[in-house]
Amino acid sequence: MNDRASVAARFDAALRARGVIAGTRRAGTFTETLRVLPPHDAEGLYWRARAAMLPSIDDLDAFHAAYAEFFGAIDEGDALHRLVRTIDAPPPHPGAPKRASLPPPPSERPATGTDAERAPTQWIAASLEERTREAAFEDLDDAERAAMLRLIGRVRIAVDARVSRRRRAHPHGDRFDFRATLRGAARTAGELVRRRTTRRRTRVRPLVFLLDVSGSMAPFARALLQYARVNAIARPRVRAFAFATRLTDLTPLLRRAGDERLMAAIGATVHDYGGGTRIGAALHAFNDRHAQRGAARGGTVVILSDGWERDDPALVGVEMQRLRRLARRLVWVNPHKRHPAYEPLARGMAAALPYLDAFVSGHNLRTLEAVADAIEGNVR
Amino acid sequence: MPQPVDVEDLRDRLLRAGYVADDGLATALACAVSLQRAVLLEGDAGVGKTDAARALAAVFGARLLRLQCYEGLDLAAAAYDWNYGKQLLAIRGAESQHERTPDLYADEFLIKRPLLAALGAQRERGIVLLIDEIDRADDEFEAFLLEFLADFALSIPERGTLAATHPPIVVLTSNRTRDLHDALKRRCFYHWIGHPSVEREIAILRLHLPEVTAVLAGDVARAAATLRQRELRKPPGIAESLDWAQTLALLGAERLDLEVFGRSLGAVLKYPEDIATAEASAERIVGAARTEGAA
Repeated sequence: MNDRASVAARFDAALRARGVIAGTRRAGTFTETLRVLPPHDAEGLYWRARAAMLPSIDDLDAFHAAYAEFFGAIDEGDALHRLVRTIDAPPPHPGAPKRASLPPPPSERPATGTDAERAPTQWIAASLEERTREAAFEDLDDAERAAMLRLIGRVRIAVDARVSRRRRAHPHGDRFDFRATLRGAARTAGELVRRRTTRRRTRVRPLVFLLDVSGSMAPFARALLQYARVNAIARPRVRAFAFATRLTDLTPLLRRAGDERLMAAIGATVHDYGGGTRIGAALHAFNDRHAQRGAARGGTVVILSDGWERDDPALVGVEMQRLRRLARRLVWVNPHKRHPAYEPLARGMAAALPYLDAFVSGHNLRTLEAVADAIEGNVR
Repeated sequence: MPQPVDVEDLRDRLLRAGYVADDGLATALACAVSLQRAVLLEGDAGVGKTDAARALAAVFGARLLRLQCYEGLDLAAAAYDWNYGKQLLAIRGAESQHERTPDLYADEFLIKRPLLAALGAQRERGIVLLIDEIDRADDEFEAFLLEFLADFALSIPERGTLAATHPPIVVLTSNRTRDLHDALKRRCFYHWIGHPSVEREIAILRLHLPEVTAVLAGDVARAAATLRQRELRKPPGIAESLDWAQTLALLGAERLDLEVFGRSLGAVLKYPEDIATAEASAERIVGAARTEGAA
């Protein structure tokens, strides 16, 4: 055990404490770097640490926090700090300014008659399941919610595939496979006995969930997030984002994190829990940072929101139009749609409607099946 | 044996090769060369990721092998392929001479693509392997690269494992159209190339375009920096400001003014919405670019 290795290992631990998973291999690289290229000054140490230990530019803030804690502070007015933050950091995205207080959006939902019938003690397991299927996600009590989250595992996984450019061996393929045929020929004295062919593979299209986690949408977001999760475990190319006034990428947590970490990430998004939503700004951030770079290209984007836009609803229209050009299908889930008298009065909703392929309610387990259909393009 | 490369020294040599690197990039490249490990460069389009590899090759007098990634990139295009026609002829030829079938997997039948060719670096002439836009390739290709990057070796079923005697310098670039697997990133040094500071951009413009005056380069760099702060779909990269400066020089402009600004916007912005945004605040952008220049 030498000093450099112990520094690297402890720095790795400091990073992990900040949620940056660098790992042993990177720590080993860092150790080697310090040995082969010993830094001459603080700046040199910083850049070596960063080149070796920073997994992604997204982790830069946490990296800086851990670095300051471990190696000493990077001064606020310091030239190094400026260099790092303003020049090399990715361009700052329009963050959410501190919000003025605004009344929460009206839930515009008439009281349902089921409340009176809901005496939890009377439910036996089977009817629990039945009720869990039909009741809106927000009307469930704790036990029912737990049952619901388990039952979501039974909802059909939405898989939408396209023909890929990659090929695989196939007995009745449409392209001659020279290599495989000749390999076979070598065994038969150069005689081309068996003709081998390949066929195109299919490739699963990307599936993106954009979940409004503010106020009244939270219970529905929780359910849809669980659905995103079972999809993410069962198939590739699933991503999920939470938004209220700003956008948070939940994708890294989808497959591995326990409920607590996922909930904590959502909680961080909704520091202004219960307020209105900046849908346009969130869509803008998503388009800029992710969709345009390919996250949504050729795929399906599922948006959960009631469409109550706190800012200018025109922005929602502009960004939806942009997203329309990038994604293959746009599905909007609005739980309020379940009410027969529903009209898209929320201005953000009205602005988004012209760009949608499907508009569904998705408010309970049964209608979640319709979401799966909508993702695959089976319903309108 | 790894040859340690001094960071400052590398930076000077890169500059002489026509590439202006900042501390972070120079450090990441020096680490990669010294430790014989790949380096992953990420950044927006047009910030000079690919050029960094070119400059690195020039610095070390190495051959640059470029592998442009795309979805569906497979081994036959990336690593090696067999010359089937030649194999077939060899079989037939041997048959007609009543000889034994020759070794069909000898070197003469092997077509070397960039990855395999990169293993053939010599002591006197190294190789810089540029794996460009790795984010455009698919997961399968990334997984395949893991072995290559860990050992600088390739397994060819018919031949066994081929390892490099002199490891190549490997530069991967990504535009971040998707996230790469951590397994791949763990094996690389990582550097995010940001947009340049105004001073660095002026240096780059002057270095690449001798016909552009210092005054005009200053105007362009400051205007580009202002544009990057606007809400644009595609903020201009260095490639765009180079185009822009060149266009302005061609138009015979000595300074940036409102008239040439409007005429030359197409060189720097590529979305109609962005051009509209820039035109709406043309006076402010041009004004800022010029006043700072006078100060």
